[in-house]
Amino acid sequence: MSDLQSLTSSITAVTSPFRSYLTDLHIQYQADNDGAVADYIPELALAKPEWFGICVVTQAGQVFEIGDCDQMFTIQSISKAFVYGLALEDHGREYVNSKVSVEPSGEAFNAIVLDETTNRPYNPMVNAGAIATSDLIKGANGTERLKRLLAMFQRYTGRELDINVPVFLSEKATGFRNRAMAYLMLNFGMVSDRVDETLDLYFQQCSVMVTAKDLAMLSATLANGGVNPVTQERALDERYVQDVISVMLTCGMYDGSGEWTYRVGMPAKSGVGGGITAVAPGKLGVGTFSPLLDAKGNSVRGIKVCEDLSQDFGLHLFNVAKPKLNLDDCLTGNDVDNW
Amino acid sequence: MPKVVSIHSYRGGTGKSNFTANLATTVAADGYRVGVFDTDVPSPGIHNLFCLEPEQVTTTLNHYLWGEAPIETAAYDVGANVGIDADKLYLVPASVKADDIARILKDGYDVKMMNDGFRSLVKSLKLDYLFIDTHPGLSKETFLSIAISHVLLLILRPDKQDYQGTAVTMDVARQLNVRNVLLAINKTYSTLNPEALKQKVEETYQSPVAGIFPLSEDVVQLASEGVFCAKYPDHPVSQEFWKVAQHIMVEA
Repeated sequence: MSDLQSLTSSITAVTSPFRSYLTDLHIQYQADNDGAVADYIPELALAKPEWFGICVVTQAGQVFEIGDCDQMFTIQSISKAFVYGLALEDHGREYVNSKVSVEPSGEAFNAIVLDETTNRPYNPMVNAGAIATSDLIKGANGTERLKRLLAMFQRYTGRELDINVPVFLSEKATGFRNRAMAYLMLNFGMVSDRVDETLDLYFQQCSVMVTAKDLAMLSATLANGGVNPVTQERALDERYVQDVISVMLTCGMYDGSGEWTYRVGMPAKSGVGGGITAVAPGKLGVGTFSPLLDAKGNSVRGIKVCEDLSQDFGLHLFNVAKPKLNLDDCLTGNDVDNW
Repeated sequence: MPKVVSIHSYRGGTGKSNFTANLATTVAADGYRVGVFDTDVPSPGIHNLFCLEPEQVTTTLNHYLWGEAPIETAAYDVGANVGIDADKLYLVPASVKADDIARILKDGYDVKMMNDGFRSLVKSLKLDYLFIDTHPGLSKETFLSIAISHVLLLILRPDKQDYQGTAVTMDVARQLNVRNVLLAINKTYSTLNPEALKQKVEETYQSPVAGIFPLSEDVVQLASEGVFCAKYPDHPVSQEFWKVAQHIMVEA
């Protein structure tokens, strides 16, 4: 792409009807102040309720950023989906499946429940399953494993990521329930005996600092078959993309996953930091950030944005009806004709 | 549907602000609701033509771009200053304070904000036409105003530098799929044959020439203290502006 073409393409993104659509959504839901900021550790309670960013990255690499898309926050549970992908690359489907099931639990994310016959945690999206998944990340020691994990995120987002140390230390200091689950799984032989190192890794992966744009890059990379659509770097082995997307669809939105699949139908993962990443396979990735959460721990504004995007553009996985708006027309058109 | 008209030239001093003010006034006098944006933030000036004094201006385009004020608060009804009914002609001026200009040059601004500002003002004031006065040369905001224009009016003088620069701008306009490009030749001298000049320019750029304006002492004498066609409606220059305005209204 020549410099003139690339500048032209960035201006075309600014003037496209799709950006105006997102801008209107942002204005509409900015006014919505339902929900509460997570406060189980003091660092999360510092988030401002008005923070709100919407980012969409298309398979062609067009980037749309509305609102607070550069504001950093901790990735929290969203990390679970991507660490699961790395575990699959490290060990293959069969072995990973022998340690973590893929059944939606219907329980809250922090439930201390294992499958009674196999002793496996229900799925990689509940805390127990995520800890078992982190245990599978290869590396000689904690530092090496963390570096592999951060390098993995960098392949998805196209930029270097770091962890928020105070959040990590707070999570570590107060994570008794997670610690209990890890030792319960050790008791059943579901995790290796480097429990403390794995718990550190788990708390660190939850403390990775991201932006709404990073979240859109994560899901756009999945939507694009595991290759970042902007940098063209491969982040996840093609074979495992569908595994990650599947568990996001069935278990990604905590115990709200059933209703999410019904209403939105975009595989997604949320985090208590206020982020949601949602995939429209073959089309685009959505990243939203707003720290006001509903009772299930999902971002209230983020849910609404995903609901509207899914309905208006027919992004539900099982949609067969003609959508209200045509995505391609909205991406390539000129909004001045709708003024 | 509202129409966007950008007035641009590759080089400075061609008469962009003068054309913008006269064309916007002519279209507003024809009964349309018109907004004018001064996007020439490094060297704003069109407020002088509309007789908007700096002390009357509290909020400018700069304040909007800094996120300090909604765009509507930076729009001033200037109709009365050019003999037009109230609520017909609005100007969004850029700040003439050296500090404000320095700040916007130093920090830049988000070109998306500019686009949202255009869109928002068109909607809230229910404008029929939006005229954009631009900074000379090519920049992100020039690209934006070209991209959203229904009509791009390029002004050039009979001068080699202007000819070359106009060719560059035409390349960019084509890349941005601009709908209509009109050319206006300004400051021609009496020795040039207008018909031959028009034909040569139209052949070179493959776009219609909407008007030819001779170097006019009458225009110079007004010295930016008013809109020429409002003061001298029967002057040949005002009639040429009317011709260009009609061309714009047909093309848009």
